[in-house]
Amino acid sequence: MSRSTRFDTKKVNSELVTLTYGTLVAQMVKDLENPDDVSKQLDRIGYNMGIRLIEDYLSKTGSGRCLDLKDTADKIQTAFRMYLGVQPNVVNWSPAGDEFSFSLDSNPLTELVELPDDLKQLKYCNIICGAIRGALEMVQLDVQSWVVQDQLKGDPNTEIRVKFIRRLEDAMPAGED
Amino acid sequence: MTVHNIYIFDRMGTLLYYQDWNRLKNSGMTKEEEAKLMYGMLFSLKSFVNKISPTDPKEGFLYYKTSKYTLHFLETPSGLKFVLNTDNHSQGVRDFLQQIYKEIFVEYVVKNPLCNLNEPIQSELFKTKLDAYVKQSSVFLTKSM
Amino acid sequence: MEDTLLDLLHSEIINYTLQNGDEKDKKEEDLSGLEYIGFSTGYRIIERLTKEMPRFKDELDTMKFICTDFWLAVYKKQIDNLRTNHQGVYVLQDNAFRFLSRLSSGKQYLEAAPRYVAFTCGVIRGSLANLSIQCLVTAEVQSLPSCKFHIQVQRM
Repeated sequence: MSRSTRFDTKKVNSELVTLTYGTLVAQMVKDLENPDDVSKQLDRIGYNMGIRLIEDYLSKTGSGRCLDLKDTADKIQTAFRMYLGVQPNVVNWSPAGDEFSFSLDSNPLTELVELPDDLKQLKYCNIICGAIRGALEMVQLDVQSWVVQDQLKGDPNTEIRVKFIRRLEDAMPAGED
Repeated sequence: MTVHNIYIFDRMGTLLYYQDWNRLKNSGMTKEEEAKLMYGMLFSLKSFVNKISPTDPKEGFLYYKTSKYTLHFLETPSGLKFVLNTDNHSQGVRDFLQQIYKEIFVEYVVKNPLCNLNEPIQSELFKTKLDAYVKQSSVFLTKSM
Repeated sequence: MEDTLLDLLHSEIINYTLQNGDEKDKKEEDLSGLEYIGFSTGYRIIERLTKEMPRFKDELDTMKFICTDFWLAVYKKQIDNLRTNHQGVYVLQDNAFRFLSRLSSGKQYLEAAPRYVAFTCGVIRGSLANLSIQCLVTAEVQSLPSCKFHIQVQRM
């Protein structure tokens, strides 16, 4: 059988993710009614994906532990490119160097999406924040992540903030301390 | 050259998987006891090796060797630990462990939603794939000595 | 975007729809929510895929498209076997179905298989609905990762 298709499979796959996600969010809005609950769920779904995605990322890139938060930011930037096909800029470092943002000019997740007015408080892209948090927790970094700007709400770009909380310790073997 | 056995631990020290191929002598312990001691040994060795390193250690502990076998160690940044015991002639084993991580563990455990990442691996498909992967590897195949 | 994303998202949709079904004592899991998300997704993706294509000759032609180009684009391979009784029943067999291929090779996890095919039943139904074919779609798994999708066209 022929393996070629008349479609650009990369594009189809990307649209499929976008559409599937959109359908899921729409269903959640129907089920849960409160947009804040939906945002919370989306973050949780992202977290669950992040804890698995990190292994895929690490095994494919063979990358080592992060040297510092700047290194972490660079690696997440690579992950954006690998998984979402976009290259965000790393911007707005806090003076203490423990907070930064990813700024996306275009966001494949929100292509083909429009938010009705009564859902303006919905954090549609929370799945990305959850994924970052989940992935970093697996490499012993406890962070918070949230959406600062959102193109869906008319902002010029999408900005996702990441704040370093603490480094998690390696687990000691049972029976030792 | 010969592969003796493999241990896979998660970052909490849970033994996710164990299998042996050419292991003629047992430790006389239960699998659980042995795994616990193995994990404890790796943990201590790793921290001590880093402690006495004359320069900043990059990867730290990679393997140890006795007169009979070599223990190869790969720890991912996510804290997964892969341990492969081979005879002393095997080469490129660390790369091989990295491949096991990528081609087998990530494909058939991480991407199997029915596998919990912090529980012993039950998937038969994973077991089959790992067994085949080890047996077809150069580390395993060239045991003509 | 990466294939892995869809695989992970797909499992999360399963988790979400099942946890929301809060009827734990029922023997048969309620997969209709999952199927419906598949339906909406299928309805929309086929729209985008076919908008610049000529109309299909007939029902069989449409089914062939689903088995080849469509399946290849979405499931990374073609359907291995298409059968029909020429009276509106079609059976699409995929011997290594994408959402089952990493679960098992054989009977292990067979009881979980329905969850991993329900979304796709919806995708097929939604796609065909958009192409003006109303149908019922069910899936049959006897041994993973192989799956048969039964399509029964509803004649008006």
